[in-house]
Amino acid sequence: MVRVEDRLTRDRPDDEAAVLADLIALVATGRQDALRALYDRTAPKLFGLILRIVRDRGAAEDVLQDAYLRVWQGAAGYAPEAGRPMAWLAAIARHRAIDLVRRRGEVTMPAGEDDEEDWLARIADPRDSEAEFLDRDALLACLGRLEPAQRDCIVLAYCEGLSREELAARYDRPVNTVKTWLHRGLASLRGCLDAVA
Amino acid sequence: MSTSDTTPSDEADLRAAEYVLGTLGRVEHEAYRRERAGSKSLQAAERAWEARLAPLAAAVPEAAPPPGAWDGIAAQLPGQAPRPTVQIVDLRPALRRWRRAALAAGALAAGLALFIAVERFAPAPETTQYLAVVNRGGELPALVVRVDPRAGTVQVRSLAAEAPRDRSLELWVVPASGAPRSLGLVHKAAGTRLPLPAGDRALLDGASLAVTLEPPGGSPSGSPTGPAVYSGRLVREEAR
Repeated sequence: MVRVEDRLTRDRPDDEAAVLADLIALVATGRQDALRALYDRTAPKLFGLILRIVRDRGAAEDVLQDAYLRVWQGAAGYAPEAGRPMAWLAAIARHRAIDLVRRRGEVTMPAGEDDEEDWLARIADPRDSEAEFLDRDALLACLGRLEPAQRDCIVLAYCEGLSREELAARYDRPVNTVKTWLHRGLASLRGCLDAVA
Repeated sequence: MSTSDTTPSDEADLRAAEYVLGTLGRVEHEAYRRERAGSKSLQAAERAWEARLAPLAAAVPEAAPPPGAWDGIAAQLPGQAPRPTVQIVDLRPALRRWRRAALAAGALAAGLALFIAVERFAPAPETTQYLAVVNRGGELPALVVRVDPRAGTVQVRSLAAEAPRDRSLELWVVPASGAPRSLGLVHKAAGTRLPLPAGDRALLDGASLAVTLEPPGGSPSGSPTGPAVYSGRLVREEAR
């Protein structure tokens, strides 16, 4: 009998990402139970993202289902070395949600003052792993260096799914101005993040 | 713009960024998707932007999906039952024992269902890996077990396997014939990587993995003494 307790090693705190990557790999082989396990672990996060953009629970449920069917079909295309599983999943969910609101063609009413979220203040989440923590700190620091209008446009587009037109309405500026803000902000962000990395 | 460049032009990279943000206009959006299909550099740029911006997703509060949402997904999956290779002979007895143990220990809600999925991963036989996912109660996954015979390791990632406070979870390999051998204790915080004793590697075909509930520090006798909370057979698939 070989006893091995004394040779235990621990994984890095990226365990959650590794688990999600394993589950996605199983989904790619056609395992429906793995999709279920992935759903149980990630659906609240994806539903939160979708709901914030779609702002209607019924429509958000449809988008959520659509998103996981995309995951089912596209799991083989996920490459762990290209990014964290959650970034991949969030991208799928956000694209499905944004496709819906753009198709719907509604211009959401500019939010009142009391409806404005301070997204950057909300990012701090102590449950994140160390690696995610570092990514987040870098992004926060680099967003902090942008001009406020550029930063707000990027954050509102990501978190609330606002289009250029909606951002233009919110800031009462021409659409081309918003486009310029976005481009300058994104270019500065890339330069800043690449310098940190 | 060349589609084989490893780095896209600045203009193309910003289009990828705006695609990730979702702010491209409809025509630009469609044009981007067409161009991306044939452009590795654009795909890479998009992945990079997803990664850069992903921390923002943490700012958006989670929301529990409606209870019926999963059923709507399952209804649209191809109507295939779980594969026969995942049948676990002793699942039901283990289930009852675990329920009793759980109730006795007050550690788990009643209702335990386990899935095990074993897949061959890499194309070459010498890099064959086994992967098992274990769900608890059909909802929260409990364990992900990865067996790498070539590296000689069993990696256990414990997700929600809550051992009662005064017990330990111990992982065993049970050969097709012969006594179970302990691979070590499953720790609940992070992943546990357990070396597979050299003699056990050849025994993997047809073997089962089992997790039992043991006294703190593991079985004192070297043989399982507590109830099996999980067991599943490893099935090795032939190389394609």
